[in-house]
Amino acid sequence: MSETPPKRPVRDRLSEVVESLVDAGSEGQSKRVVEGRAPWRLAWARLRKDRVSMVSLGFIVFLILVAVLAPALTALIGHGPNTEFTNTGLSLSGIPVGPGHSGFILGTDDQGRDVLSRIIYGSRISLEVGVGSTAIALIIGVTIGLVAGFYGGLIDNVLARFMDVLLSFPVLLFALAIVARFGPSLGLVLVVVATFSWPYIGRLVRGQVISLREREFVEASRALGSSDLRIMFVEIVPNLVALAVIYATLLIPINIVLEATLSYLGLGVQPPTASWGNMIAEAQNGDLFTIAWWFLVFPCVALVLTTLAFNLLGDGLRDALDPRQGRSQLATTKKKAKRSPTPEAMEALP
Amino acid sequence: MTVSQVAPTSPPDTLLEVEDVTKYFPVGSHALGRRSDEQVRAVDGVSLSLKGGETLGLVGESGCGKSTLARLISALYPLTSGHIRFKGTDIGTLSRRQMRPLRRSVQMVFQDPYGSLNPRRRVGSILSDPFTVHGLVAPSERKHEVQHLMERVGLSPEHFNRFPSEFSGGQRQRIGIARALALRPELIICDEPVSALDVSIQAQIINLLESLQDDFGLTYLFIAHDLSVVRHVSDRIAVMYLGKLVEVGPTEEIYTRSRHPYTASLLSAVPLPQSALRSQPKERVILTGDVPTPIRPPSGCRFHPRCPKAQAICATDEPVLEAKPQDSPTHVTACHFPVEPGELLARASRPGPEPVSGAGDRPAETGA
Repeated sequence: MSETPPKRPVRDRLSEVVESLVDAGSEGQSKRVVEGRAPWRLAWARLRKDRVSMVSLGFIVFLILVAVLAPALTALIGHGPNTEFTNTGLSLSGIPVGPGHSGFILGTDDQGRDVLSRIIYGSRISLEVGVGSTAIALIIGVTIGLVAGFYGGLIDNVLARFMDVLLSFPVLLFALAIVARFGPSLGLVLVVVATFSWPYIGRLVRGQVISLREREFVEASRALGSSDLRIMFVEIVPNLVALAVIYATLLIPINIVLEATLSYLGLGVQPPTASWGNMIAEAQNGDLFTIAWWFLVFPCVALVLTTLAFNLLGDGLRDALDPRQGRSQLATTKKKAKRSPTPEAMEALP
Repeated sequence: MTVSQVAPTSPPDTLLEVEDVTKYFPVGSHALGRRSDEQVRAVDGVSLSLKGGETLGLVGESGCGKSTLARLISALYPLTSGHIRFKGTDIGTLSRRQMRPLRRSVQMVFQDPYGSLNPRRRVGSILSDPFTVHGLVAPSERKHEVQHLMERVGLSPEHFNRFPSEFSGGQRQRIGIARALALRPELIICDEPVSALDVSIQAQIINLLESLQDDFGLTYLFIAHDLSVVRHVSDRIAVMYLGKLVEVGPTEEIYTRSRHPYTASLLSAVPLPQSALRSQPKERVILTGDVPTPIRPPSGCRFHPRCPKAQAICATDEPVLEAKPQDSPTHVTACHFPVEPGELLARASRPGPEPVSGAGDRPAETGA
């Protein structure tokens, strides 16, 4: 991580290496810095060691850049997402041109549109819905879970049952009904996806709060005379952040797929606006994809890579933030042997 | 605090008065109104009082209600019945808002130094809580005040930016003590403050608590199951069994002339390093059976199913706490057949307790 200055005793350097394994912030200084080793920094140090997570994180950052810079990128390519290049993009017999032909890097679709440009614009929709609905779900889920878990009793009963009801709803049927009533739109997709994903977070948070509220530090705070609100936000919420971050990261790909599903069924983003879901749906209309495989395969690849990256990052985050709950016994012992976090570091996280 | 609420019976220097306090916890699921009638009688009719500046040691085995009593006194749980008066004010009658000044006077040090500090907060932030919650010290002064506190309990003030996980158990307990001390309370309830620590660290913490008592004139309710620790710190000792007090008295009297068979058996279990320390021939009283469940406590004297001296009356009549002949008036025992000085309990128990009604004589199902 940090270069060891020359002419240092070996033992000094060794202990430094051991320390830097735990603490990313010690930057090779042997001077005793009285600075708290924040749990987050420990977690980041652990995450940085996880190559899979870092690659996933890199891909996600790349995806975000692509989505943000979509207009500039498509301008650079020279093909708008919805422009039909009937002369250059389709062969004389109306077959889409393949990847690399006539300046279409990923080929064209059946209407002569640039698949790459459409995937780039589709990433905007996916991230908007995936991140947006997860953010809404997070706010609702944490609030409801916190209230249900903290107060317990009747409040908890009502809220917990409500979450169960929502989780047992047939989402797609419900979405069909809603769309039939209000007509398809991006906003509606966002609302539908958020509505059916917050109970996942809500349930997790509730469970965590139920165990946290019995902890002695909550009693200590109460003995000091803290109000309920203060206990919730000062004592409990900081202990929920790790959980919320992990499950939000894992919820994003689920919601991206849900958006793609809704768009695939024609309930979400409407053509010609590109979304990965409706691109796949359009590609499957007819059997042109048996010859021109690219305009079906590339949106699928984009969808798979994105969900994979979020899932892997989520798993890595879980390992980094909550080292006591490994994915599997084997993986944990292997990693422990490799990284050997100190007991102190393990304690720092619930 | 109104003067009218002062109980007429309490002597002027009484700081805390606990009067016939009970706490029952409902058992079983209460989902959708299916509430069972069974209750855990965690604390069942306890009365005691504390004078300002003294240390009362509260001992008893796990699950006897010590910690529940501690939480009742610090108003963390509502009472089922009874009264707790702090300087004459009945805390059961106070609203949350009225309770706040009282919170400043009664603080608690918790058993588990790992559980009692929020792992996600820096120590400086945890220790400034008392000032924040009560709006006492100007925000700009808080850091200074916190560092002062840390210094007082023997921590390096520069460490205020650290997280609890970066401290050892003993240091964490010092943080817990600093937090309790911050508001300059009059009464500190120490709920087994050293039982989670190494023996060498225990002594340091005990010494710290004693020096703080001298400096600030603190009153302690010191809960423990380590009898030698309790003997060292306490002026008086109260022994609890299954939700009730069985014996209360001055420390030396309890240790040298315990009257309740339960106290005697507890004390006989304390390992003594030298025979010279023993005031009477060493005998070990091995109790038979487990602590009965506090859901259905035994009739009469709760100790009778395990008592080596139990007779028929013990199963029917509940003994009251009273001073026995030859004891000082402050030494009270709840027993029909108190242990006489020099009496060997182990011998008495050899024939085994006579078969008395074994109601509730089953393993305890619930913890503290």
